[in-house]
Amino acid sequence: MGDEKVDRNNGSSRRPLDRVESVRMIHRSLRNTFSSTAGATDGDDSTAAVRLADVTHEYGSSGRRFRSSGERSVTALRGVSFEVRAGDVVGLSGPSGSGKSTILHAVAGLLVPTDGTVELLGTDVTALSDRERARLRRRHVGIVFQRFHLLPSLSARANVALPLVQAGIPRSRRRERATTLLEQVGLGDRVTHLPGELSGGECQRVAIARALATDPDVIVADEPTGELDTATGADVLEVLTDVGRDRAVLVASHDAATLAVADRVVSLRDGAVVDDER
Amino acid sequence: MSGDGGGRRRTRWAGLVGLSTTRLWKRATRTTAGRVAATTGAVALTIALLLVVTGIALALAGGGAVATDDAAVRVAPEESGTLSAVDGVEGPRLGATNERAAAIRSRAGVEHASPVLVETVQLETADGDATHVLVVGVVPDEQPRTVAGLSTDSLESGDPHYAEGSYDGPRTGELVLSRDAAERLGASTGDELAASSVRTGDDAPSFTVTAVDAAADGRDADVPVALVHLSELQSVSGGDDGELADWVLVWGEAGAAESAAADAYPDAAVASERGVDPAALFDDGLAFATSAIALLVGVTICASFVATTMGMTVDEDRRTLAVLEAVGFPTHSRLAVVAISTLVTTLCGALLGVGLGVAGIAAVNAVAGATVAPGTVAIAHPLFVPYAIVVALLSGLVAVPYPLAVAARTTILEEVSR
Repeated sequence: MGDEKVDRNNGSSRRPLDRVESVRMIHRSLRNTFSSTAGATDGDDSTAAVRLADVTHEYGSSGRRFRSSGERSVTALRGVSFEVRAGDVVGLSGPSGSGKSTILHAVAGLLVPTDGTVELLGTDVTALSDRERARLRRRHVGIVFQRFHLLPSLSARANVALPLVQAGIPRSRRRERATTLLEQVGLGDRVTHLPGELSGGECQRVAIARALATDPDVIVADEPTGELDTATGADVLEVLTDVGRDRAVLVASHDAATLAVADRVVSLRDGAVVDDER
Repeated sequence: MSGDGGGRRRTRWAGLVGLSTTRLWKRATRTTAGRVAATTGAVALTIALLLVVTGIALALAGGGAVATDDAAVRVAPEESGTLSAVDGVEGPRLGATNERAAAIRSRAGVEHASPVLVETVQLETADGDATHVLVVGVVPDEQPRTVAGLSTDSLESGDPHYAEGSYDGPRTGELVLSRDAAERLGASTGDELAASSVRTGDDAPSFTVTAVDAAADGRDADVPVALVHLSELQSVSGGDDGELADWVLVWGEAGAAESAAADAYPDAAVASERGVDPAALFDDGLAFATSAIALLVGVTICASFVATTMGMTVDEDRRTLAVLEAVGFPTHSRLAVVAISTLVTTLCGALLGVGLGVAGIAAVNAVAGATVAPGTVAIAHPLFVPYAIVVALLSGLVAVPYPLAVAARTTILEEVSR
């Protein structure tokens, strides 16, 4: 039933407030669509959207079969524990190699830590198979990369609609949803442009729109302003925090201006939490 | 619920196909046109080459010099095709042909029926010039007919030497030479030619050239052919024992001719089709071998090209695969995108290859016509279209494991961290 609401929410000429309201309605309807088949328990206000408990990760200690015995492993995370509630914007700070990206990858289910648990909406990600993690990621996590990682041969709209392909959403609704999201991030006039025809800031906004495509509960952003100038970076952060309301947002950065938008900053050094400033 | 799940799965697959083809189209037209063009072009050239070679093989199989006639129906022994001038292997023959042809001739709607016997016979002129000629024995009637590309007009009507099966009637000794045979023998109208086969000893019967005929369609220009009365050839070759013939030709209304032929020879193959049947490839050893080797080489080369170029494409495309993984595409969906891209590229190459192949066949015929072998040396057939597509898809399927293996080895963290 909720799906029909998506079809009625279109039109680029309406006032911004109307547009925001219509996007929220779409979010609600999509949430209904996905929650019917979601494997994870939806988080309520009392449950953390993301919870890391004593997470340790060593690169080079697992995975590949034909690894040479002489290869050294690198400890990226040491006993990291913290949680993020829905509606929180949490910054991860620290120098390069401190483990910021590794935490984001673990939260997104792109890697399984060697020890500890990572819970996403109450589901232990570390206990899932590759396929189950991919499904959980598709339904509940939106990822924003430093270098955008848009598919160069797809239009902005097709890039945004990408996660909806695997979700089995029909083409017309994918297009409609992607167009609405692009309008929401201020790119309503760029829907058919290829990434090569967009500026860095525009590409990052497309990436943010893509991260929102399946209306995820958690957004992870790895140095989202790393490739952008200060003014463009500020615009992108505004978009990210605006659309990130009601979601758990994790932003990794070593840029103070970026971290300033966070409600809370977790500082890391050598893979360990050294400060969790509330 | 299951219906909803099935619908969602179908939509997902439709989405994956759409995503793959859109990406491919944009790459071909906007972003990486060179690589896509290289893969498609390689497939197209291989398929075109395959079709040209198969077309030549088909012409070999169907284009035996003696296969050109204007009859409505041809009765041939089962499991036998037309006798090829190339390898000349003798197949099964029909028996009691003179008698049964007479029976067919008496049916309503049938104008004429004649057994046709083809033998390689050495003809020798009075000057001592000798050459082997495909001699075709036929029973002519008053109407001029075309058999083995030659007109029966210059042969006396009927077959007097047959004499109701006694083979002691008067010999006419008439013989029509194809232009090529006349050139090789240096013979012309009115010349005497002595015929000798393994069966004739010193008493080689002689024939008089009554006409030198240009081939009906020029296809037999490189094969010397001669036309004589059936019984006279049967006497030379030994075919008189069982009134043997390679096939029986029936002229007249196609339907009546066909049923008369089927009644006379219930176990033989009755063909009223006048085009070249690709099934003839299987009956002709050389043509079959040629086309089979072309197929094998085609699949191998095509699969190698596709595997290499698509493997390189996927290698450059690891970041895309990593992004797909990041946005929640499981392994099988990512591999499906690679497989669909590979097969669609191959399919486009196949369609282009069909066009190139048909053009190639025309070019081969034009070049051959202008140089060494006037006439059709390669034949295109409508079945070439599905054949090319199936071969290309087969090549794609053979090739697809390599790009899939490259894709499966992609490590997302390495790609997104770059």
